[in-house]
Amino acid sequence: MELFAQDLVNGILAGGIFAVVALGFSLVWGIMNIINLAHGAYIMMGAYTSYVLFSTWHLDPFLSLPLAFGLLYFFGYGVQRFVINYVVRAPLLTPFLLTFGLSLLIVNVALFIFHGDTKGITTQYSGSNISIGTVTIAWTKLWTLVVALIITTGMQAFLTASRTGRAIRAMALDIDAAQLAGVRVSHLYAVVYGLGAGLAGAAGVLISLSYSLQPSMGDPFVITAFVCCVLGGLGTVQGALVGGLLYGVLEAFGSQYVGTGLQDAVALVVLLLVLIIRPRGILGKATA
Amino acid sequence: MGCIRVGGFPALAIAGALALTTAVPAPASAANGTIVFGAALAATGSTAREGELTKEGYDFWKDYVNSHGGIKVADKIYNVDIKYYDDESNPQTAARLIEKLVSEDHVSFILGPYGSANSATAAAVVERLKVPMVEGNGAAASIFSQGYKYTFAVLAPGFKYLQGILEMARTLKPVPKTVAIATANDTFSVEVGQGAADYANAHGMTVVYQNKYPAATTDVSAVVSAIKALHPDMILNGGHLDEALLLQRTFKEQSVNAKIFGYSVGPDTPDFRKTLGKDANWVFGGTQWSPTAKYRGAPGFIGDSNVYAAAFNKQYGHLPEYHNAESTAACLAFMYAIERAGSLDPQKVRDALQHLDVVTFYGILKFDSRGLNVYKPMAVNQIQNGELMTVWPLGVQNAKPAYPTPPWNAR
Amino acid sequence: MGGLSGNATALRVTVAILILLAFVPLLHSGYDENLGRSVLMFATLSFGWNILGGYTGYVSFGNVVFFGIGTYTSAALWQHWHQQSIPLAIGCAVVVAVAFAIVLGIPILRLRGHYFAIATLGIALATEEIVANIDWLGAGSGQAVRPLEAFSSYYFAMWAVCAASMLVTYLITRSKLGYAFVAIRENEEAAAVLGVDATRYKVIAWAISAAMAAAAGAVFAGANGFIDPPTAFATDDNVFPIVMALLGGVGTVAGPLIGALILTAINETLWSHFPQIHTLFFGAVIVLVVLFLPRGLLWLMNTRGGWRGVVAAFGAYRL
Repeated sequence: MELFAQDLVNGILAGGIFAVVALGFSLVWGIMNIINLAHGAYIMMGAYTSYVLFSTWHLDPFLSLPLAFGLLYFFGYGVQRFVINYVVRAPLLTPFLLTFGLSLLIVNVALFIFHGDTKGITTQYSGSNISIGTVTIAWTKLWTLVVALIITTGMQAFLTASRTGRAIRAMALDIDAAQLAGVRVSHLYAVVYGLGAGLAGAAGVLISLSYSLQPSMGDPFVITAFVCCVLGGLGTVQGALVGGLLYGVLEAFGSQYVGTGLQDAVALVVLLLVLIIRPRGILGKATA
Repeated sequence: MGCIRVGGFPALAIAGALALTTAVPAPASAANGTIVFGAALAATGSTAREGELTKEGYDFWKDYVNSHGGIKVADKIYNVDIKYYDDESNPQTAARLIEKLVSEDHVSFILGPYGSANSATAAAVVERLKVPMVEGNGAAASIFSQGYKYTFAVLAPGFKYLQGILEMARTLKPVPKTVAIATANDTFSVEVGQGAADYANAHGMTVVYQNKYPAATTDVSAVVSAIKALHPDMILNGGHLDEALLLQRTFKEQSVNAKIFGYSVGPDTPDFRKTLGKDANWVFGGTQWSPTAKYRGAPGFIGDSNVYAAAFNKQYGHLPEYHNAESTAACLAFMYAIERAGSLDPQKVRDALQHLDVVTFYGILKFDSRGLNVYKPMAVNQIQNGELMTVWPLGVQNAKPAYPTPPWNAR
Repeated sequence: MGGLSGNATALRVTVAILILLAFVPLLHSGYDENLGRSVLMFATLSFGWNILGGYTGYVSFGNVVFFGIGTYTSAALWQHWHQQSIPLAIGCAVVVAVAFAIVLGIPILRLRGHYFAIATLGIALATEEIVANIDWLGAGSGQAVRPLEAFSSYYFAMWAVCAASMLVTYLITRSKLGYAFVAIRENEEAAAVLGVDATRYKVIAWAISAAMAAAAGAVFAGANGFIDPPTAFATDDNVFPIVMALLGGVGTVAGPLIGALILTAINETLWSHFPQIHTLFFGAVIVLVVLFLPRGLLWLMNTRGGWRGVVAAFGAYRL
């Protein structure tokens, strides 16, 4: 029983990061119908930003998070505006391969600059934890979850309350109508992609607190993002949050009770079942 | 989770960044020629760093030999050169490049690539082409269960990696009785774990947990929480640097305590200590070799292990890691074999390798019928106050093991 | 002139190249033979992907799973029954892969577009991990496969598999099967209304695709000498065939082989001149190809205005 509670808590804590990872991916996919395979590369960029700031100026990762977000936002904006916008209406394969090529580029630049050896961030407070009953919770992970929730709430507020956010949602519903209504679509597309990249960067910072850094570190998280989006539903903040938390918990229980050797396979099988039975996920809207 | 590997496409290799064809100036006595060794090593890709360390090990030997009288073959003196190609950390590329080295560059002696998968594919190639290969970086026994006759590994096989720790544990008081073993699910690591489990079972210890996690996983919480619930005396890991870091951190986060924490890979690496800081203290590691291990050197090469370490440090600006040492040892095996064979014929050198038996700065170099150096013991080192000390076996230790490991909240 | 087969001249040239490739072992260079075999292997994988992705319009991101099945069939035949026969390995591999494709195809092929792509990716990843836990297949440690003494047999076998794949693709384009596939690609609902049993044809396409990949895998295993999960399900083997089909011409007969040849040539040139950063340039190449040649080189040949047509067409898909 003590194992069950600990696994549940571990799952939720991991799920917080997954939610942020999934959020950026979900926005880009849901609003622009682009599967951004470079998402992992942006996560890695965020993580390395945090690492560089930490090792050079001892800036705590939680503080460098807004910086990483901003940096990746501008980078993503540029990539969308000047590269991806040219193939947005192409059939599925084209943006897929394009973002894959971008990912290769970015990861290799990172490999060139930082080399392949593993790096890590160990702060003063890393490893410290609190115990509630039989469950032990690391402070770092708890704060990560809190920050993740703040980010998702913030995104939600932006999308519902701000003018840009509303324009984005209008554009997602009907791009031509939005254009007729005066929405600057190519700018907004870049904004959305920039947000996606920025969120990936933020996720990267959170990840850098608990995991090791390597140029290829972001790639597994693309799959994670896929699964969370499918589980929770595309294009909405709530979907990403639900998908992320659910996936975290599934992985935690799957690895404990099915076998640690199969923990990824469990998640993928769940993905397949969801795709077959209810492709839109838990909170997704049925497509027309 | 699936990792998009950054390995490159198999490609035509021309001496790019790595081809070295300039020889070190000849020693006083005129040489009768140059023996060229071939090596497909990672200069790019995921194992580029280890490939670089391997190359340093090979080059150190080459430079030393060339400036100290070369190799004597019968009554002739030869210099040494090594031709490198970048295998991009990709096993298929390694295989292709070894074909090139043998068939186009007419190399008769191959120095092994880095990594078990690359070594496995390379072993198949050299077997077919009938040239001997000595390697110091692919420790999986599956390579050696095929009846191959042309591949020799100087390093202790995978199953021995953690046995040294258990051997040492039996001499400590109070004797730890229960052990948990977690390994990554790949060739090398699984063997490491199984070797530890077999040893434990054969010597009165109980294996309370033995499990595999996906290689390159980013999440070990299930493993850690399961181990925590069992309260083992010893926790052992067979895996790679990333997981060693992740596990050690997660153990601290979850307040998992044990009398011994042992890793097959990790403590040896400066990155481990650098990243974890004081959280790395008390950790034991199985090691092929470390600069502080006191091995006697064989005649004809630099001397004891500390002399090697100092000279290496002087040339490369850092103390040698085990990758460097095992690579140099691979070259040494060839050197002694060629001298004893008195010939450059691949078959004769192969036979000489099979019968080699020499103690070097790296430990004993001797191969069983499969080509494995089962005679080489693993040493154990431990991180004490940020320093790496060799603590086992008694003959090579330079510090006593610090035992038992205090709980996290008491450090 | 060509119809679904694409540009006839290109087809004739490609067949000529294929015939020339059969003579590579005569060069007596282990290196060239290895490289040539690799080109043929990737071309086969690309042919396989092209059937489902190019002609039927179902983009699969997990075809490597069938390649992996092929390699493991070969490995198992050696490990457990000491069989080294290449035709046997190919035969068994094809049977297993086709069965897998049919069983999985029926539920998975109901998905469309992105969802289908992710589902296939998920299948490939899950299979890799599951195989890594099956001891009978060597689990994570992998299994060695003893190569035949007559090593060039593997080259000829791979050539035969590649030639067969190209032939099958050609025959499909001349048959009812080809038109059914394309009908599904262009408008699946309309095709169904017109009486095309979409499910049946999609499964057939996937099964053919699987057979090609598995055959390539079966030959590869013996040639490589060693199989483990990362080798059998390598991402390179998953993605490069797609890029090759794209480069050569999606939905054409000659495209995959052309793409395989060109991409190999590019990669070799890059590697000889920029060894440290050639993968980086490779990523750049993919980006450029996707931006400027979204339908491949053969499309370029058929476009009015040649290169100027390409430039004019750049941005046809922009916002």
